[in-house]
This record gives sequence, C-alpha cells and structure tokens, in this order.
Amino acid sequence: MKILKDKVAKLSFVALLITMTAAMFYAPTASAHGEKSQAAFMRMRTIHWFDLNWSKDEVAVNDTMTLTGKFYVFQGWPETVDKPEVSFLNVGIPGPVFIRAGSWIGGQLVPRSVSLELGETYEFKVLLKARRPGDWHVHAMMNVQGGGPIIGPGKWVTVTGSMSNFVNPVTTLTGETIDLEHYNLDNTYFWHGLWYAIGLLWVAYWARKPLFIPRSIAVESGKANTLITALDRKVTLGFAVGTIAIVAASMGSTNDKYPITTPLQAGLLRGMKTIELPVATVKVKVEDATYRVPGRAMQMTLTLTNNGDSAVRLGEFNTAGVRFLDPAVSEDESGYPDDLLAEEGLTVSDNSPLAPGQSRTVQVTASDAAWEVYRLADLIYDPDSRFAGLLFFYDASGNRQMVTVDAPLIPTFI
Amino acid sequence: MSASQSAVRSRAEAVKVSRTFDWLILFTLFFVVLGGYHIHYMLTGGDWDFWTDWKDRRLWVTVAPIVSITFPAAVQACLWYRYRLPFGAVVCILGLLLGEWINRYLNFWGWTYFPVNFCFPSNLFPGAIVLDAVLLLSGSLTVTAVVGGLAYGLLFYPGNWPIIAPLHVPVEYNGMMMTLADLQGYHYVRTGTPEYIRMVEKGTLRTFGKDVAPVSAFFSGFVSIIIYFLWHFFGKWFAQTTFVSSEDF
Repeated sequence: MKILKDKVAKLSFVALLITMTAAMFYAPTASAHGEKSQAAFMRMRTIHWFDLNWSKDEVAVNDTMTLTGKFYVFQGWPETVDKPEVSFLNVGIPGPVFIRAGSWIGGQLVPRSVSLELGETYEFKVLLKARRPGDWHVHAMMNVQGGGPIIGPGKWVTVTGSMSNFVNPVTTLTGETIDLEHYNLDNTYFWHGLWYAIGLLWVAYWARKPLFIPRSIAVESGKANTLITALDRKVTLGFAVGTIAIVAASMGSTNDKYPITTPLQAGLLRGMKTIELPVATVKVKVEDATYRVPGRAMQMTLTLTNNGDSAVRLGEFNTAGVRFLDPAVSEDESGYPDDLLAEEGLTVSDNSPLAPGQSRTVQVTASDAAWEVYRLADLIYDPDSRFAGLLFFYDASGNRQMVTVDAPLIPTFI
Repeated sequence: MSASQSAVRSRAEAVKVSRTFDWLILFTLFFVVLGGYHIHYMLTGGDWDFWTDWKDRRLWVTVAPIVSITFPAAVQACLWYRYRLPFGAVVCILGLLLGEWINRYLNFWGWTYFPVNFCFPSNLFPGAIVLDAVLLLSGSLTVTAVVGGLAYGLLFYPGNWPIIAPLHVPVEYNGMMMTLADLQGYHYVRTGTPEYIRMVEKGTLRTFGKDVAPVSAFFSGFVSIIIYFLWHFFGKWFAQTTFVSSEDF
C-alpha cells in the first residue's frame, strides 16, 4: 500500500512538473491596460470622454495619426479621489509604440502637467507618430495626481512597417538637426565604457596578487600594514589624480562643445481654455436608478423638462466611455470601438419629441453586455455607490445638448 | 586522509587552492553585491537613474550619491578590515553598473523599446575610485568618510556631465522651449510615469541662480559623509566572525 502511495505521489509530482513546463509554451501577449479593472465609480464620475475620434485604424511607421475629442471634468468628482488640480494628458499605449509628437488641450501644447476645473469641458488632441509595428490598443488617458491614471476608451490601431526605419528628427535652438532616436548614444557608450574599463583596471591591479586567504592570515596576525606597498600607494595616487583629471578635462571639453545648455523644464500649466457647449435647456431629475444584476441593465426613472424652444429626444447615455444609443435618434458615424458601443442599448419608455415647456417622467433602460464586460456592474462594490454619466438630447435639426446625471444606484438581484 | 590532515600537500598546491578561492569569493561577492545593490539603488534612486528627463541639477545630484554610497561604504569596511583590500567601492559600482546596463538594455530597450539614450544609468565610477583611493592612502575611516564621502558627492555631477550635456541643448517645440531630455520624456510615452511625478528643479536654492549644481553637490557630499559612517558600521558589523563558533571547525 505504501509503495502504491509513493508511486501516486511521484507520478502526481511529475504530472505537476509537466503541466508547469507546458504552461511556459503558452505565453499570450498582454495587451490590456487594466481599464476594466479600474473601479467603476472612477470611470463613471471623474473624466467623461466623448466625441472621440481615432483618425486611422492602420498607420505605417513614421506616419502620424491623431486622437481627438472632448472631456468633461465631472462636477460631482468623488471625494475619495484627489481633485484634478495637477493632471497630465497622456495616452494609454503599451510603451513607446508611438511617440507623442504633440498633445494639446484647448489648442495649447501640454507637455507638462495642467490644472483642470471641475464642471468644465475641454477639447483635446494627441498627435501620435508610429514607431513599433503591431496591433496596439490606443486609449485616451488622464493622469491625476493623487488619483492615478484615469483611462478612457481605447481602440485597436495597427502599425505596419519596420521599427528600424523609425526616425525622430529634431532641430535644436543651436541649429543642429539630430535624430533623437539615436542621438548621444555613442557618447554614452564611450564614457560608460571608459569608466568601466578604469574600474576593472583598479580591481585587476589588486586581483593580480593573492587576495583573501593570505591577506586574512596576515591581518589576523597583526601584519596588515605589510600588505600595502609603496608601489600600491603610488598606483593609488595615480588612479585618484587621473580620475580627477579626466573628470575636470572632460567637463571642460564638454562645456566647450556644448556652450549653450539649459536646465530641465518643469512647471504646472494653469488657465487651460475650456469650450462652451450649448446651454442645456433640458432639465433632468433622477427619480431613482437601479441596476438589475441578472439582466445586465441599468434602469433610471427620469423626469425630463424641456425649457428650450424646440422639441428634443434622448439619443444617448454615455458612462465610462460606453455609449448606449437609441438608434431611432442617434447613430454613431465615427467608427467608435464596437465593444464600447451599444447601438441599440438605450430604451426609453416614451421617446417621442418632448415639446418646449413639456415635462415627462420616463423609464430609461441602458442594457448591454458591456456592463459586465467592462465591469461597470462592480459599481455596487465601490465605496461610493453612485452612478454618473452624460445624456445627449437631440432636436429635429440634429442640434445636441449634453446633460449630466449623478445619483445613487440601487442593485436588484432578482 | 584523516580529518586532521591538510587537503594540500605542497606550497604550490596551497597557492593554487588559495587563488581558486580568490576567484570563487570574488565572483560570488560580485554577483551578491550586484543583486543586493541593484535592488537597493532601484528602490531609492529609481526614476532619477532611469530617465534623462529626471537627471536635473538639483535633486538627481543630491539624491543619487547619497543613496548610492551605501553599499560601497559597507563593502569597503568588510574588505579593508578583514583583508586590507581597497577596492570595495569600485567592485560595488562594477556590479551595480553591470546590473543596470543589463536591465536597461534587456528590459527598458529589449522589452519595452525605450531608446537607450533615454534610459542609461548614471556614472558612479569617479567618486568610487576616489573613495577607494582615499581609504588606502589614509587608512582611516574618518578621513575616508569626510574626504572620500565629500568627493563622492562632488564628483558625481561633473562625472556625468559629458554624458548628459548633449541632452541639455535647448529646442523650440511647438512654441515652447525645452531641453532634448525633456523632449525625450515627452515623446517616449510612459503611461505609468506622468509628468507631474518628476521631481526635478524643485527646491529653494533660487539665490544661487543658475549655479545651483555645485551647491547641490556640496550638500550631497555632506550627507554622503553621514551615510558613509552609517553604512561603514553596517559593513563592519556584518564582516565580524564572532557569531561563528570555532567548535564548528
């Protein structure tokens, strides 16, 4: 019986080893940016990205594409996240597969951090130059100090060509045009190589003589001073003086070669230009909101009041970058990512035109697998279980107005 | 052969065995220091050492020597007091820089394609060579700490200037002035390293105008003196043999 047990144990161990070894042969590419793992309330109640457009789906190395759009800095910014007083417009890509050739908020270049105001809407543009071939998920992204990265919608873009052909020419203020991709590389290798060689020489000088055992015996027996010879002192002095001389000479020659240098530039950009959206004439009151877990659907009871002068219909509910559309009112023509687009995901109990001066209470349902896929349903586990989003109303002429909603969300499990 | 007999039968054999031990110990020491020091320096020096747009004239100059004089001081203590060997600091930097270059080349460039001219490590050799030299010439902990520690801080910036100066040439970019190093940081996208976490050019040394690097270097040197004392004693403590019982042999 014992022999049988031993055999089973042995075979189990071998099977475990084989399984673990086999697992090494399956190593899929990690392409995600954690956008689905970020707390749902973070995505729903901080930066609302909309009108996003990726100018190309495929781009060759050295060619450029743009990511443009708008973002609304949510008025009801959660208390658990630091306010976006120090923020940085970024792009969520897997490392420098593109270079960021430019980024603008309200037309101003933003290579540095910026201060954003709650309740304001900004227009942005990021110019990307393709560098590394592959299929890359390109996200809009805002880093907020104290809040972390707030990643927006992403779309797959294919980069074709060869990275070895990538060039990044830049003209300096001293009139020199350099390729930033390879600039200063030989100089870096030279100085590091030289100093490494000097360091090796220093150790080699001592390692040519017996090192540890005889020296330890000598030190233990009180003859430590005999281990350092006059030659050792001269050589050491030579290394010290030589080192200081190389440092001084190389610094001098560098200053001669680069007489104009400036310190690194840093600082916060304030007063970013906002955009004025048409004043919302529709007033929305959230009577209640529930999330039905089994049906992957959020239901809102809204009281809509039209204070404008033209009839409007609800066309879209946008939250965390997921767009729920009523196809009778609104259709996407921008090539928005499929996984974030519920083209028939918005149902309104009565979506007939809401006439000027009219008020109506409607049941609005936003349903799609995206609630699960994008883990927005996890909102019920967040510390501040409120939902938020943008409602877009359209009149017969296609004029759009944006209204924000922000209210508690009650989950239902049956 | 009984347990009390020597394993070697001639002086030549003893010398050969001794040399074999030398290389074994040196090899082991090198890689142990490489691993430990590398982790220490990545955790404490971190981004200042990773990126050119963090290598400024204030904080990089101040931080890098202070956090990097640690292992050299400790290994110097061990090698000097036990063996009268004065290459503790340099052997540490050899290990650290080899590890750093492997990391930068294979990880930063090989895996994530950051250009090497953007993510090369700092040069720590000039200070380390002088630190070892002062130890041998003075034979004194105090002199090494004060003179060597100060020199370690002072030599850091000029020792790196030939490498980073070309990246501090200014450029006009879409209506803003920045250095080539700033432009590298802007161009080569780091999703996890937003601009605002860069700790550069912060501080209150404004009365020194543009000549702030020497002041930062002096400050770094002073703190390096203190850190040298501290880590020298760590090394000395680790190098003692009192915890090894003679009965074990």
